[in-house]
Amino acid sequence: MARVGVFVCFCGANIGDFVDVPAVVEEAKKIKEVKYAIDYKYVCSDPGQQMIRDAIVQQRLTSVVVAACSPRMHEKTFRKALSDAGMNPYLLEVANIREHSSWVHQKNKKAATGKSSDLIRMAVAKSIANEQLHEISVPVTKRALVIGGGIAGIQAALDIADARIPVVLVEKSPSIGGKMAQLDETFPTLDCSQCILTPKMVDVASHPFIELLPYSEVIELDGYVGNYKAKIKRKASYVNFDTCTGCGACWLKCPVKVPNEFNMGIDKRKAIYSPFPQAVPNKPVIDAEHCTMLIKGKCGICAKVCEKGSIDYTMQDEIVEREIGAVVVATGYDLWDPKPYEEYGVGRFKDIINSLEFERMVSANGPTGGVPVRPSDGKVPKNVVFIQCVGSRDEAKGIEYCSKICCMYTAKHTLLLHHKVQDSHAYVFYMDIRAAGKGYEEFVKRAQVETGATYLRGRASKIYKKGDKLMVQGEDAQIGQVVEVEADLVVLATAIYPYKDNPDLARLLGISYDKYGFLSEAHPKLRPVETAKAGIFLAGCTQAPKDIPDSVAQASATAAKVCGLFAGDTMKKDPMIAHVNNEFCTGCQNCVNVCPYQAIVTEEIPLGYGFKELRTVAKINEGVCQGCGSCVAICRSMAIDLAGFTDMQIINEIVAI
Amino acid sequence: MDYTKQIKEIAGKLFSEEKIDVFIGYRNSGFDENQVPVLIHHYQDVDQLVFTEKSVFNLTNYLKYEHTRNKRVGLVVKGCDSRALNLMLTENQVKRENLYIVGIACEGVVDEAGQKAQNCLECVMPDSVVFDEMLGTPSGKREYQVNADIRELDGKELTERLTYFEEVFENCIRCNACRHSCPLCYCDKCCIDQETSTLYHGANTTSSAFHALMTWSLHLAGRCVDCRNCEKACPSHLPLHLLHKQNEKVVYENFQEHQAGMIEGDRGAFYKYSMSDPDDFIM
Repeated sequence: MARVGVFVCFCGANIGDFVDVPAVVEEAKKIKEVKYAIDYKYVCSDPGQQMIRDAIVQQRLTSVVVAACSPRMHEKTFRKALSDAGMNPYLLEVANIREHSSWVHQKNKKAATGKSSDLIRMAVAKSIANEQLHEISVPVTKRALVIGGGIAGIQAALDIADARIPVVLVEKSPSIGGKMAQLDETFPTLDCSQCILTPKMVDVASHPFIELLPYSEVIELDGYVGNYKAKIKRKASYVNFDTCTGCGACWLKCPVKVPNEFNMGIDKRKAIYSPFPQAVPNKPVIDAEHCTMLIKGKCGICAKVCEKGSIDYTMQDEIVEREIGAVVVATGYDLWDPKPYEEYGVGRFKDIINSLEFERMVSANGPTGGVPVRPSDGKVPKNVVFIQCVGSRDEAKGIEYCSKICCMYTAKHTLLLHHKVQDSHAYVFYMDIRAAGKGYEEFVKRAQVETGATYLRGRASKIYKKGDKLMVQGEDAQIGQVVEVEADLVVLATAIYPYKDNPDLARLLGISYDKYGFLSEAHPKLRPVETAKAGIFLAGCTQAPKDIPDSVAQASATAAKVCGLFAGDTMKKDPMIAHVNNEFCTGCQNCVNVCPYQAIVTEEIPLGYGFKELRTVAKINEGVCQGCGSCVAICRSMAIDLAGFTDMQIINEIVAI
Repeated sequence: MDYTKQIKEIAGKLFSEEKIDVFIGYRNSGFDENQVPVLIHHYQDVDQLVFTEKSVFNLTNYLKYEHTRNKRVGLVVKGCDSRALNLMLTENQVKRENLYIVGIACEGVVDEAGQKAQNCLECVMPDSVVFDEMLGTPSGKREYQVNADIRELDGKELTERLTYFEEVFENCIRCNACRHSCPLCYCDKCCIDQETSTLYHGANTTSSAFHALMTWSLHLAGRCVDCRNCEKACPSHLPLHLLHKQNEKVVYENFQEHQAGMIEGDRGAFYKYSMSDPDDFIM
């Protein structure tokens, strides 16, 4: 005979003010199986938990119902209390009378009280059919996969590897470094970006615990936390990295010229190329789309000049497999395309560039040798207009969010411009200056004082051509007048936009993303680096716009999470997973097809006792099953049941109301 | 439509070449004008076989019983029957290599009154979609149109519809003939017979027959091929096709014009998981 104990929580005023808790307790006492019912101010507190522990022993309870907040909140707390009192923790049921009742029915106390009683009645009915469950322990593969070799990915890989955990770092381009490698100097201290980044890149390449896979992409991820299997496509580079010394003879002689992505297309690279001099690994790859040897079969100059014979035109894409336990996603960002800003003449006027193009121009190793020039005539600009918030904070044409870094780098750009072109003058159209960060406000002040840049508060409304100059029209909201600035060069601070392949990657990994394509964290405040899928973590701009210090901090945080995950040899897993009743299974394999985790396989069993003939039935892989219940819902013969949410338990709940 | 001669020849050939253990076909009932299914085991019985517009039953139903389990079977299928067979193959209930399928390019069968049957008038695929040998000239796929009964039903208020079905289903005697006659109801232990299912009756106000029929129709949603074996089998003459035709319409309209069993390997609207499934209804 079931003996159920019911503990109703006031949750201070959260429940107590909107639900008549003593009445709910009285109602609970009327249920036949309830042998003990009591209310308490905070059941989750120590004395509250003690009440549960005492009642379990004294009242010889067979299951426990706690009517309080969402089980997401305190289910673990109460399960612990049950197991402390010697009871199987899965004999607990939580009736959520806060989120499901008191909070949503604040204006109707009577109805909220009635609903709370109903919820308790259901939980009691369900708990009667609860079974004792035991945690499953699964082995852990102690190897991490880091996707993306920008500063976030590099930092995460280094931190994890420093804890003596092997790391596979996958980067889609020929070199690691990411966007940070393209920057000149970094705010707020004006460190040379390459100078602080390249030592880390070299560390990655030489670290004994890091396996660097450049020019590669993750194409498949199977399995579950601690036991993932990743398939990684190593794109054909047509260069044997083992023998190549990176001497550079090949790209010097290559006759094919292609716009250089690293320099934002300002200059040309060759069809065989290494993206930049400090690249890691510093080995060239052949761009198959443009190489005449690969397209037409004519040329072969690089192979002729290569002393080591490292060029191999027959190389094919290669798929490698790695067993891993956790994934850090650090795919970074793209620049938002400012095409909707037609009034700025984007695409029509050559002398409008974006901030990353400006960054390449002022960079010492950039295409113009560190001097900004007008793309139209190659002259050094004197008047430069910087327009902030192009795309950012613009619901009408762009995106709603603030890209976070543009105020800072625009201030930095005015400084860099001032350093490179002494007699220049900068104008900045801005909406607000957002300089929250250590030393940031001081930096903006310093830039303003040092450069004497004219800050105009307001969005530029129009750009038109007058002679070889650009006229930028906008309102200066501080004086309430329309202003017009004659510019030699206009720099648009275009918004940060998520890396374009993020949605595809998210689907491949089985994690969620927002409407822009930023990957979603599990909780915006308390779990900012985890995803909803266990064992997959986020670092850097793949989650939201960030500057370098934030990206690095988040990357280190993911490393801490990965190290925590790998602390033991095995991992405990929730026992609430699906089970197959072979007797009822018809072997139709519909469950195999609907399982989003590929957790169901088939097995052959005898047709019946003593039979030699075999029949096919479904079999659940305990480690992989996440207990989502898709298979339970589609099984027509009701052969699959979900532990903790059995058909019997659900029916009991339905019958109870 | 009379393929009696050809089918006798085919069955005779299969037996003489020892390619099959049993042939499922039709024979004249002997006491009236109608035909009944027959399982032929020997060469000498082949002469019993007939096939005319009175060959109404869906013979794939006999593949789910022990008589044919793990045996080499030859059988005759019309367009609708072949779609059911396609689903049985997809759902691993029969092995393709065990079957010799005589497909028919069907011209429609007759109902009890001798008129062309209603489901044949609305048929979307008269030709067999899976076969080893085809008899007749295929006429191709036809356009799907919403059944007249369903249009009428949709015109009614929800409460009116509920009352209608409650009244109709009162005549159900729970004999389960519909289930036994359906080739796609092949579960060894039907969910309706399981103890957990019977408990539902305490939770709703409708009758057990209503509950059973609704469950049954939902398990056939996106799978029913409109062969109407169930209606032919029902001793209470319930309009069971209303349930299936309604589901057919909902599935057609909401699941990319899905039609059951048209393609081999297609599991139907509800039984596949795809990353590109629309999820706009999830808030």
